[in-house]
Amino acid sequence: MSDPFSINGGAAVAMVGKDCIAIACDTRLGSQSLGLANNFEKVFQMGKTTFLGLTGLATDVITLREDFRLKNNLYKLREEREMEPKTLANLVSTSLYERRFGPYFVSPIVAGLGKGGQPFICGFDLIGCIDFAKDFIVSGTASDQLYGTCESLYEPNLEPEDLFETISQALLNAVDRDALSGWGAVVYVVTKEKVVRRVLRTRQD
Amino acid sequence: MVYLKVGHMTCHMTSLELARTGGNLVNEVNYIGLWQIVNTNNSGKLVQIEYALNAVKQGVTAIAIKSGNGIVLATERKANSVLLKNDTNSKVELITPDIGMTYSGMGPDFRVLVDKARKLAHTNYKRIYNEYPPVKILVQEIAKVMQESTQSGGIRPFGVSLLVGGYDQHSESFQLYQVDPSGSYFPWKATAIGKSSVSAKTFLEKRWNENLELDDAIHVALLALKESVDGELTGENLDISVVSEPQQQSLGFLGTDVAGPRFKKLSAEEINDRLDAL
Amino acid sequence: MEALVQRLAPPPAHVDPDEYDLGADGEGNLNALGVVRGMQVPRVPDPAAFLSTYTNSMSQNPQAKIKLEHGTTTLAFRFRGGIIVSVDSRATAGSYIASGTVKKVIEINKYLLGTMAGGAADCQYWETYLGMRCRMHELRNKERISVAAASKLLANIVYEYKGQGLSMGTMICGWDKTGPAIFYVDSEGTRLKGDVFAVGSGATFAYGVLDQGYSWDLSDEDAQELGRRAIVAAGHRDAYSGNTNNLFHVREDGWEFLGNKDISELWYKYEQEKRDARVAAAAQPGSGEGAQGENPARPTTEVQSVPMEE
Repeated sequence: MSDPFSINGGAAVAMVGKDCIAIACDTRLGSQSLGLANNFEKVFQMGKTTFLGLTGLATDVITLREDFRLKNNLYKLREEREMEPKTLANLVSTSLYERRFGPYFVSPIVAGLGKGGQPFICGFDLIGCIDFAKDFIVSGTASDQLYGTCESLYEPNLEPEDLFETISQALLNAVDRDALSGWGAVVYVVTKEKVVRRVLRTRQD
Repeated sequence: MVYLKVGHMTCHMTSLELARTGGNLVNEVNYIGLWQIVNTNNSGKLVQIEYALNAVKQGVTAIAIKSGNGIVLATERKANSVLLKNDTNSKVELITPDIGMTYSGMGPDFRVLVDKARKLAHTNYKRIYNEYPPVKILVQEIAKVMQESTQSGGIRPFGVSLLVGGYDQHSESFQLYQVDPSGSYFPWKATAIGKSSVSAKTFLEKRWNENLELDDAIHVALLALKESVDGELTGENLDISVVSEPQQQSLGFLGTDVAGPRFKKLSAEEINDRLDAL
Repeated sequence: MEALVQRLAPPPAHVDPDEYDLGADGEGNLNALGVVRGMQVPRVPDPAAFLSTYTNSMSQNPQAKIKLEHGTTTLAFRFRGGIIVSVDSRATAGSYIASGTVKKVIEINKYLLGTMAGGAADCQYWETYLGMRCRMHELRNKERISVAAASKLLANIVYEYKGQGLSMGTMICGWDKTGPAIFYVDSEGTRLKGDVFAVGSGATFAYGVLDQGYSWDLSDEDAQELGRRAIVAAGHRDAYSGNTNNLFHVREDGWEFLGNKDISELWYKYEQEKRDARVAAAAQPGSGEGAQGENPARPTTEVQSVPMEE
């Protein structure tokens, strides 16, 4: 159990809908079996419709969250515009590969709406290999369970409300089968018009 | 160590360096000197930059015009002798597939800047974001290089002004910038640098309008150049490039959803055809 | 005496399977008297070392194929009204929650309960077997076995297999002539008599609640609530405990099952009660002044829909 990926626990998932995306995470922070905090969010807003999810070793999650916040803010100042999700994905990839021989122990996911509201999601391994997906991306200690729930619940071209229901059920049922995830959950549903953030009532055991 | 006070600035030099200047600290130093100290004259101007601007002012005229569907970058390629094999010397260069650059001033300095700009486009941008820099970002990178040369020891400023034109994917528009030796840069709709830049700009002011198409822009550029070129205008002694539509027919782009390069150099034949139509 | 010991003691673990006469006079690995004749053991020089490559029950081999249930919270305490036995229902294999409906209290007989922590199969098998041995005692002696004797039977059995990978931490709880009694027995051979025990990965959290709420003179209702509350605390903090709580009360006339409740639902209920209490304390005139300043009613953040920040 000295695997850095499963010391603190946590899960995140992103899904593509019809002209919308959703990204969600649990809020547990633990130390092995001990639950430490139930407010440790793992999805961060990088732009109006761009989100970054980070699961894995909590210290690296925080470090990278701050690193990407810095890089994103500098980008906004330099370019006088927001970063496209695809550009953020490439930035995440190169930033992770810079630590090829001493990596951050994280499994990032990126989700957002690109130019013209084009849905975009992708995931990464810890050294930056991008996994482009058309349907959903999972990450964290409950990723096996998330693959199961997503494969069975997901369908393409869902409207925002249905996408919220799908991603929420996928996450909730997955983390309820993972000892190291849960303790609260946050879901973002992103359309061109608005971003809706919902805090889910989850099991607390 | 000898401390010397020159103008407003305090400089320090070794005796060796002092010897190299011939022991005289004067404002008029040959621009292409081996070594110079940064100094200002009484009006507060950084004179080395003034010298660099002088080098630009004596340079061959370069013209750039922005239109609704493209940018033209044009300059004369002077051949001082019939013995000179001139067709290898290129004065308008591709920096990224969507950005081109030309200059007025010192040719060798331009080639150094072309190298640096191409490299910066990759190291500071494409290798990070996996896309080419927008025009403004690239211009800022070049301007940074030029500014640093005005403030570093042991080197002189670049003796060129640049015209950088390209397409910006994010705003879906063409952009044109001028960069000066000081590191200042300005966005233009159309402009000229070099020997007859003043008269060329006056000409462009009359001829430029919002409804200009690329073909019109090339036409205007040729007319403007005609005024500044001593001899006859030919495709062989002109260097003209355009940044316009993506060239999907280029090798490796056909049938893909990757946009082809927008930068395109006009051949001598193409230029001659347009000259005939003048 | 020698003969008695010879008859009751299980044979050594290494029994040649060829000599092992299944079902000839008993059933399975039991003889006609119902005594375990011996487990089949792989014919290798060191069976324990061989087994440890496949199980993690000796916790030396992280790559073990057979992951046995390890995380658990079980507790039992003695008080004036008898014994409260309270357990969770989670079974994990690594970090995977394999089940949330495990019965961790084994009903040995009407008067005896055994709790389950460690290897699920080990506990289930040996405590069922213990039930059989207890029944034999009753038939032979025309009286119920004491809790002390029953727990010692189990302790002796598991001690036979010490070092071979058995994993169990159990509390044998019951009411006999001496009154209510709890014995803690584990696979290392430990056997302890006591008033308050908690066993498993969530035991420390359970002890935290038990220690601050325990008293011999607790009412039945308060004792049951304490048992529930302790398991909820453990289920909340310990990743390997949770899902549901099973609660038992052992009295003179035998044990009573008090129901199966969802730990998460209980947790929300307790949180609400805490909030209500804070609000009530703040509203109290006079006494509320100090409490209000020190302990203001906090907003309920974790279950609300929060509007967008940007």
